[in-house]
Amino acid sequence: MGGVMTVKRSTVAKVADLAALVQHECTDVLIQYRNQENLPNDMGSDRLVFVSPPSSQLDIRSKLQSLHSGLDKCYSLLERAIALEKMELDRDQMSEYKNGRRRLKEELLNLLKSTEELLKAAGGKPVRNQDDLEPYHPNNVFHLKLWVYSVYIEVKLWSKTAFTVMKELQSAKEPLKRGKRSTRRTLQ
Amino acid sequence: MSRLLNIPTSKPNCGLVWVAFVLLGISALNAQAKIVLTVPQQVSLSANFFTQQLTIFWFGGEATTFDVIILRTEFNETVFYNTVPAVVNQDGGRHQWTWTSVEPLECTSLSVKICSRDGMTKSDWSEPQILKGRDLPSNSNHQVYPQDKVVPVGGNTTFCCIVEEGKEFRDLLYGSIEMNVKRLSRRSYAATAVYQNLSGTTGTNVLCRLRDKLAGSVIFVGYPPQPTNFECLTYDLTSAVCYWDTGRATNLYGKRKTSYSINKRVCPDRTCVLPQWDGNWTLVAVNPLGQYSLTYSAELLHRVVPVAPDKLADAAQAWNATVHWQWPYSSYSTLALVCQVQLASRNILLRNFSGVGVRSVFLPHLHPNTKYSVRVRCGSLNHFLKWGNWSKEFNFTTKSYAPEAPDVWMWVNRDNSVRVMWKPLTQWQSHGVLTGYEVTLWNLEGNEKQTNNLSPKNNSLNLTHWASITGDKKAIASVKAKNVKGTSKPSSIMLGSIDDKSAPLAQTIYTSSGFPLSWQHSDNRSCSYLVEWCEAVCTSDCAVDWIRLDTGSSHVSIKDSIVKFQPGVRYNFSLYECPSVSPVLIQRWQGYIQELPPSTSVNLEINQQDCDVVLSWEEIPLAGRRGFLLGYKVYKVNNFSNFTLLDDLSPEVRTYTVKDLYTSTYKFTVKAYTSAGEDTGGTAAITLKQCADGLILEILTALGIVTLLLTTVSCFCYKKRRWVKKAFYPDIPEPKLPGDWSRTQGPLDVKPFPHSMVHIIEKPERDFSKDTLVIIPEEEDYEGEGIGDEPVDTDEPQLLRYYNQVVDERPIRPRFPDSSVSSSSSVDSANTDVTYTGIQTSHSSLVFPSDSQGFSEGFQPHSGLSLSSGNTGEGYHPQMHSVALGGNLASPEPIVEPHAVGSGGYKPQNSWLLDSPTEGDENSPAPSLGSPTSVASTQFLLPDRERHEEKRQQPPSAANWFTNLLSSAKP
Repeated sequence: MGGVMTVKRSTVAKVADLAALVQHECTDVLIQYRNQENLPNDMGSDRLVFVSPPSSQLDIRSKLQSLHSGLDKCYSLLERAIALEKMELDRDQMSEYKNGRRRLKEELLNLLKSTEELLKAAGGKPVRNQDDLEPYHPNNVFHLKLWVYSVYIEVKLWSKTAFTVMKELQSAKEPLKRGKRSTRRTLQ
Repeated sequence: MSRLLNIPTSKPNCGLVWVAFVLLGISALNAQAKIVLTVPQQVSLSANFFTQQLTIFWFGGEATTFDVIILRTEFNETVFYNTVPAVVNQDGGRHQWTWTSVEPLECTSLSVKICSRDGMTKSDWSEPQILKGRDLPSNSNHQVYPQDKVVPVGGNTTFCCIVEEGKEFRDLLYGSIEMNVKRLSRRSYAATAVYQNLSGTTGTNVLCRLRDKLAGSVIFVGYPPQPTNFECLTYDLTSAVCYWDTGRATNLYGKRKTSYSINKRVCPDRTCVLPQWDGNWTLVAVNPLGQYSLTYSAELLHRVVPVAPDKLADAAQAWNATVHWQWPYSSYSTLALVCQVQLASRNILLRNFSGVGVRSVFLPHLHPNTKYSVRVRCGSLNHFLKWGNWSKEFNFTTKSYAPEAPDVWMWVNRDNSVRVMWKPLTQWQSHGVLTGYEVTLWNLEGNEKQTNNLSPKNNSLNLTHWASITGDKKAIASVKAKNVKGTSKPSSIMLGSIDDKSAPLAQTIYTSSGFPLSWQHSDNRSCSYLVEWCEAVCTSDCAVDWIRLDTGSSHVSIKDSIVKFQPGVRYNFSLYECPSVSPVLIQRWQGYIQELPPSTSVNLEINQQDCDVVLSWEEIPLAGRRGFLLGYKVYKVNNFSNFTLLDDLSPEVRTYTVKDLYTSTYKFTVKAYTSAGEDTGGTAAITLKQCADGLILEILTALGIVTLLLTTVSCFCYKKRRWVKKAFYPDIPEPKLPGDWSRTQGPLDVKPFPHSMVHIIEKPERDFSKDTLVIIPEEEDYEGEGIGDEPVDTDEPQLLRYYNQVVDERPIRPRFPDSSVSSSSSVDSANTDVTYTGIQTSHSSLVFPSDSQGFSEGFQPHSGLSLSSGNTGEGYHPQMHSVALGGNLASPEPIVEPHAVGSGGYKPQNSWLLDSPTEGDENSPAPSLGSPTSVASTQFLLPDRERHEEKRQQPPSAANWFTNLLSSAKP
């Protein structure tokens, strides 16, 4: 496409809603997981996503780039966490936790794709993370549980970041532009 | 819940140890003479951290027993100390012994020493060998052991927590329960969970918490596998399919779940397919807590279960069909099979058949033009193990055939015309798509025949134009159904009118099974029965249904059918005998499936009959009754719409008379009711007029009584007139006056103006030119109120009112409360000379207070009265004053009565006393005085009240007549 490409504010608003939904779903899954594993409420977590959060000093494209990288990493971690849980601990019966976990994965993927679309609209290029090359292997089940907990914390954090960024985009006056080409997308 | 215990550390008693050493030393000295014990050499350790086992290797010479001591290195605490037998390896004579630790071997470093023992003699201890724990300073991490351990339910597990270097231990939790810990080393703490229960599906967490950090492990508590019901069978006569139940849940999932294998072939849960029939199979179930084995052996042909037949096909006729199928395995062609066919249409039938390699089945006794659903399963005939799976359902439809004969009945309309009816053929009866009906009518009398072809939608034929079917003339109707395959057999009925009034009528009450009808069956009856039913209010083209009953039947329950039963609708049921030949109605019933309150109210008419009210109404139409009427309730509607039940009438009664009513407006409601309740009711109102006859009768009766009373009194007075005169009009002695002017000068005959009264007042001291005659307007006189309220110093009009009241032609009775007052007034009147020359009746002056108070007050003595000559004003004033109307008629001269002057006033010559002193109350005239009369007076001066009333009602002539009567009685 040539010329100016625009992104409706309603689209950004929908992504913001999606981010809020992921945050809400992740909060529920965290509660269920903490109850199921009988983990203490004051338990800390390790940082697993080493991506610089989108600073307010960055331009829109950089913010989206950072957000997309963080969400992409979160999605990879969540996929790995689900796979490890199935391998180590899973039983065949469905549970509320497993349903919530499945929904969270689907909604996080939607958020990731929506963010990717916005990033493309802003002229950015999605970068896939390379962590899949060295997937996490837990030393023991307890470590796996802590790691899964940290994954949910990361998903919650980055979904909250996504919501904040989308709100900033909604209120931003700066148009979404493609960098070098004349094709532009602007927020309307 | 697991119980947590501390495991006490066994510490050797130092005293005992020394004693032992001394004894051993003595023993050794003694034994040195026999053998020389060598110190164990090349002691080495091998640890299995998963099993928590420590194996000790050494070379120990000729000794057969050794003492082993194991200490926690850091605290030098003895964990184990005992004499153990030595196992000598064949390769090189190395001894080994294995010790299982209660605590994970990682918890802390252990030191192991060994010495040789021969009886009481032992060698020196070997150099200690140390198994390094994970609590060494070189490993400063925060750790918990054991990790991911799987233990059986009821076991005990000791956990240890190695605190991160420089951190402070907080607690050790099993799930959420804090355990009691013991310290193993500077950084290591241990606690034991005992009698562990099943863990959660993802294990139970054991948490070691520092102030700001968390470490932990997960323990899985479950059961070893225990599968059951292991068996194998074959479907294809080649392979084996084995089944088993997993038995008790192990509570271990994921990597720890039970794995199965049969004859060393890995199998999924519960079932496993083996390509060849081995004849013997061993199932091994394994999980971290153990393994379990089951074996099974069987012959191939004894374990055959055929698969489901495939590719079913049919060859259907009208009344039968053949179903074919195929087997997926050619080996079935020689297998003796028993098969089961499930055939479903209106109902489900199962049929079994057998044979070698069965591939088809013949299905007789089917119904034409009927859709069938069939499925087949088979089993081994010779060694039946169980049925194989059902085939997929296969549907086929049989061919059409000529329809069945319809069920024919007749219905006699209200105009006595006949309707031939037949029940519509069901799909089951029609054997195909119906093309129509053929109705043939045959008049037996005239041998007349008529054929009607009707469409399949017709189910009746009105014979309104078949005029010959009336009265006793008979005809036969014959109905045949037709479809594409042919015509049914004819179904005939004899037509004719049926007497429907002579049969007894009864009520039937609906139950859950329908309307129960029962009748007495007579053995000499050989005909069948037919019960017919329809709505009772139906007039034409009624929905009629019927049912035929066999001979000997005596009861039936009628349910919903063509005639859809509705609540509140009456249905007629008729029982016919010999319905096809010569129907005879033998019994009738009526019933409702549910009675409702009447929907229509009575049309109430209301009439007055004398002083009674007659309510009448018509019967409620049958459609509006909605139940069997139980009666009518008559209500009187009071104020505020309250109903008062007057009567509960039987349903035959349709009039009701309400008696003893007064003249007023009345409203009545009549409500019909059934077992379900009352209707809203018909209401009518009436305003009763005066009962004319009664009034007249009352008036006549009253008049008759009065007349009789008057006549009696008159007769009595006439006969006793002398006594009356003597009693009431005694002779008054003629006054004696000085001189004889009385002879020459008679009483002044003053005739007052007919429409006024004249009061003649004579008072010598007063100036008559100033106050003698005052005319009081009559309007003022009639004002009954205010008389007594007027001020004491009354003015002239009051004065005149008083006169008017006194001067009356009626008999006068004293009106003062007591006789004394009256007497005193009479005494007071002594100051007045009065001469009555005659007082004429004046209707306009007949003024009395209407009420007793006014009446009394009107006569209250007034001290200030201007006419009072004395100081009280009380007294008999009319005798004290005389007022003439008009100055020209009144004599200005005082008329002086000499006697009165001498005696001090007028005194009555006679008086009467009341019989009862109670009459002296304020409502009664003064009781003591008789009526004073003047010399020439023929009147009572003080009338009593009653007589005054009578006087007012009687014409003046009557009073005059009575007065004359009395006067004439004078001698």
